[in-house]
Amino acid sequence: MRPLPVAAALALSLVRGAAAAPPRKEGYGLPFDASADGFRVDELIHFTLLAIAVIFVIVAGMLLFSLVRHRRSHPARYTPGSKTSIGFALGFVALVLLAVDGTLFMHTIVDMRHVFWNFAAAESHPDAVRIEVQAHQWAWSGRYAGPDGKFNTQDDVVTLNDLRVPVGVPVVVQLSSVDVIHSMNLPNFRVKQDAVPGDVTRLTFEARTPGEYEIACAQHCGPNHYKMRGVLTVLPPERFAAWLRTVEADARRAYDPEDAEAHWGWDWRTR
Amino acid sequence: MARPVAHGDDLGGHRPAPVYGLARYRRRARGADRTARIGMAVFLGSWAMLFVGLFFAYGFVRARATAWPPLDAPPLPRLLPGLNTLVIAASSLVVARAVSAQELGRRRSAGASLALAALLGAIFLGLQGLVWTALWRGGLVPSGGPYPSVFYMFTAFHALHVLVGLVALTWLALRARGSSAPSPTDVRLWGWYWHFVGAVWAALYVTIYLV
Amino acid sequence: MTPADQVTPAQALMEAAQPIHAPPTSFWRKYVFSIDHKVIAKQFLWAGLLFLLVGGALAMLIRWQWAFPYRPVPVVGGLLFPSSGGAIAPASYQQIFTTHGLVMIFFAVTPVLIGCFGNLLIPLMIGARDMAFPKLNMFSFWAFLLSQLLVLASFLTELGSAGAGWTTYTPLSTNVGMPGLGQTLVVAAIFVTGVSSTMGAVNYVTTVIRLRAPGMTWMRLPLTIWGLWLTAILNALFVPVLGSAALLLLLDRELGTQFFLPAAAAVRGGGDPILWQHLFWIFGHPEVYIMILPAWGILGDVISFFSRKPHHWYRGTVWAMIVVTVLSAMVYGHHMFLTGMSPLLGEGFMLFTLLISAPSMLIVLNWVLTAWRGSLHLDTPMLFALGTAFVFGVGGLTGLFLGDISMDLYLHDTLFVVGHFHFTMAAASFMGSMTGVYFWFPKMFGRRLDERLGKAHFWFTLLGLTIVFGGQLLAGYAGQQRRLFDPFQYEFIRGLRGLNRWTSYFAFALFAGQFLFVVNFFRTVFSRRARPADPNPWRVTTLEWTSTSSPPPFHNFDRIPEVVRGPHEFSNPDVLRLTGRDFAGQAELLPGGGRPAVAGGKG
Repeated sequence: MRPLPVAAALALSLVRGAAAAPPRKEGYGLPFDASADGFRVDELIHFTLLAIAVIFVIVAGMLLFSLVRHRRSHPARYTPGSKTSIGFALGFVALVLLAVDGTLFMHTIVDMRHVFWNFAAAESHPDAVRIEVQAHQWAWSGRYAGPDGKFNTQDDVVTLNDLRVPVGVPVVVQLSSVDVIHSMNLPNFRVKQDAVPGDVTRLTFEARTPGEYEIACAQHCGPNHYKMRGVLTVLPPERFAAWLRTVEADARRAYDPEDAEAHWGWDWRTR
Repeated sequence: MARPVAHGDDLGGHRPAPVYGLARYRRRARGADRTARIGMAVFLGSWAMLFVGLFFAYGFVRARATAWPPLDAPPLPRLLPGLNTLVIAASSLVVARAVSAQELGRRRSAGASLALAALLGAIFLGLQGLVWTALWRGGLVPSGGPYPSVFYMFTAFHALHVLVGLVALTWLALRARGSSAPSPTDVRLWGWYWHFVGAVWAALYVTIYLV
Repeated sequence: MTPADQVTPAQALMEAAQPIHAPPTSFWRKYVFSIDHKVIAKQFLWAGLLFLLVGGALAMLIRWQWAFPYRPVPVVGGLLFPSSGGAIAPASYQQIFTTHGLVMIFFAVTPVLIGCFGNLLIPLMIGARDMAFPKLNMFSFWAFLLSQLLVLASFLTELGSAGAGWTTYTPLSTNVGMPGLGQTLVVAAIFVTGVSSTMGAVNYVTTVIRLRAPGMTWMRLPLTIWGLWLTAILNALFVPVLGSAALLLLLDRELGTQFFLPAAAAVRGGGDPILWQHLFWIFGHPEVYIMILPAWGILGDVISFFSRKPHHWYRGTVWAMIVVTVLSAMVYGHHMFLTGMSPLLGEGFMLFTLLISAPSMLIVLNWVLTAWRGSLHLDTPMLFALGTAFVFGVGGLTGLFLGDISMDLYLHDTLFVVGHFHFTMAAASFMGSMTGVYFWFPKMFGRRLDERLGKAHFWFTLLGLTIVFGGQLLAGYAGQQRRLFDPFQYEFIRGLRGLNRWTSYFAFALFAGQFLFVVNFFRTVFSRRARPADPNPWRVTTLEWTSTSSPPPFHNFDRIPEVVRGPHEFSNPDVLRLTGRDFAGQAELLPGGGRPAVAGGKG
């Protein structure tokens, strides 16, 4: 019996099966993945699920076997552990460490460095969309740079609980908070990032499927934490461009130099 | 009969007779004394972690500050706290003398040393009070931002520890004169505490005033 | 057992160091301001079980909220929430989940696992007459009681109790987010309970180092003592760090200092909100192990006892526990992957987090291999021990998802995290505590708990915990976030209404099932008809069972025992031939010759 190749084959089929499953917006299981890179997280989750299922079945199976066969009438063996049994334990641990933990580690290092925390690549894309988001109790304010391409200027577009992004280009969000720590959670894009007052944090993703998705606050931020819901609309590029033109025109007309509350932007950070 | 297995010194056999006049002679503690010493060492190690936490906080807050000290803060004096460093070092030496005197049964000398150490501790607190009042008048108040927060928190929390030690040393000094003399272990362990407080001050002086 | 003329020199020295004192006679000295470790253990047990009930009731309110948001709570709703017509309001809800966490961790599980079993077992299992510092022990309990009172008092303040989550993240927990006396009192309670834990830890560490009976070498210590001792070390090292954080927060709240409050939204300067998280988790992650190490130790012993077989690879387990203790201090950053920490640091923390799974898994395998080819006696303590192993296994395995940064991107702050740490910290710690309660109850009270009620309690607990926390894992997998007053505000989790409701039904059943234990406990403690227990009802080896009575006298041992073998001497054929029993006490001299049978294992 060679359990390892069998397990690996099972894992592969499960991962493939899950990736091919029809998308679902609500209900059990992972939420619909509307991003270009969310599959990396999902694949890893499925791999880990399978791995822990295998480990669980082996260990719990041994315990169950003992529970059935080695009851009161079974004479106990007087042994503090033999070379074989200790070798089995150490070998099992080493195998799990290499095969499971090792895979997780390598997979994640690659994912984080190349995708989820690779802000340099996202920013270097010529059409990358940049958004500043300021969280406050209990809403998300969004800011687009406007025609001049510079943040914290008169022509900025400011939105409330309403972010829109185009399909197929990287989106970079810079986050901050006015009051307490919030966390911007995009479950349909498999990303999440804390918004910390006194600091600017970053988040990047690329949308794949147009539609309306939810922005959730994941960090407890006061009694109305549960109401801190925003909407992220993913649009085809041309409709996004049209929307941007409209809101930019609106922003020009609605600009009020006296309204200090609305001037919360910051110069785009280029660490 | 099973072969007895003993831990270290418990089975050391006879206690050596005390040798008077050899100030550097150190008897190894046994029994309850040794237990008390280990307990105190564990406690001080544990309590030191509280200060580690505070120093960590200091480092964190300082690292994110744009200017340290802030441009509008009055400069911290260096001379007076430096003097205080000498005072607390001297009191540590005096306490060490008290410990060895007590160990050798010289109770009068031990009592005098303890009283002197307590006096030095009081001088330390007095000078510290001077520093605080001068800075407070100069406009440095705890609610004025991270810099004064760190300064007052550190110095006040340390002063609280000095105060505890001061009370203990005074109490030991008084008892050393009376009939219910403190045990050498009492004196030694409070001595450790006093050295600990002194060591914390040294670290504090360097980080707060010098660096 | 040793005739009077055979006292060894080592025994004589330990006797001289720990003379027998007359027991106190006055009521106050005997039951209230007692310095007897066995009485203090019971005090911790009562205080802890009481708050376990409080914490459980709070959990029921949370479950009610998730099943039926906005609907009045039946029976107690009108009394607790008169201003909102008996329904839970958002402001009350955040206090409920905050205090549920704090009460369970600091004021229920900690006193039972560490306060009660640490105090009861350390002297008894190592063969000492009391703790190294009995008075410090008493102060530790009274400081603990004070901290409990502070928590209760916080509910009576104008704005109610703390509401910033048990993690008390700044700036939410400063005056910016939580004005009012309640939060201050709770932070003060955390500081005071920290002082209590530190005092206890100093005592435990010193006692194990100094007061082990002659012959009780490190590798002959029962695993329970190893667990408690390593826990005490972690407590001594890291609880003061929490103390420093609480101190700074109190100063921020009361004196207007600026440690945690930044100067402006997107500008550096001012205090640092993330500083709290560092200090908190430097303590907080070891705390997870603080709560599980004693349970691991208890399991290691109990599984061996009831399998009638030496513990599998005792040394391996001991070293694995030591490695976990060391590593536990190096993984805390995995709670903070999403705070904007430097990627390299994050990867380092992930590496250590994944590594810590190795010794933990070895410990679990050693339990399984201990039971393997044993002779399993499925009494209540054994059932609870195996149940603990099961829920800890599930909890440990689900931890793999969360120690990994890219999966944490999705799962962080969801109910998956909640389910995971409830399996490890709640289910495993609770069932581990119950293992201990059922096992040592005869030693504490001189009576045996009813086995039938105990087994019913076990099945209610095991199935209840597994289903409830399993339901949380499922909800979290689908993305439901934690701490939501009304989770169904979000469209993507509206489909989970049924799951949440069913999880709640099982939670109510789980809570109700605990009254089986309450009834069993009170009936046995107070009934006159309860069966008195033998000195050694479970027929096991450790000193508290083999060298003294149930319950032990004030001075524990008439003569300090001389230990001759390890703690798991079961089914040794030589012992069986000489005594007709399948076990040999740790200090037992076997008839027919001076040499005792060789102990199982190298220890």
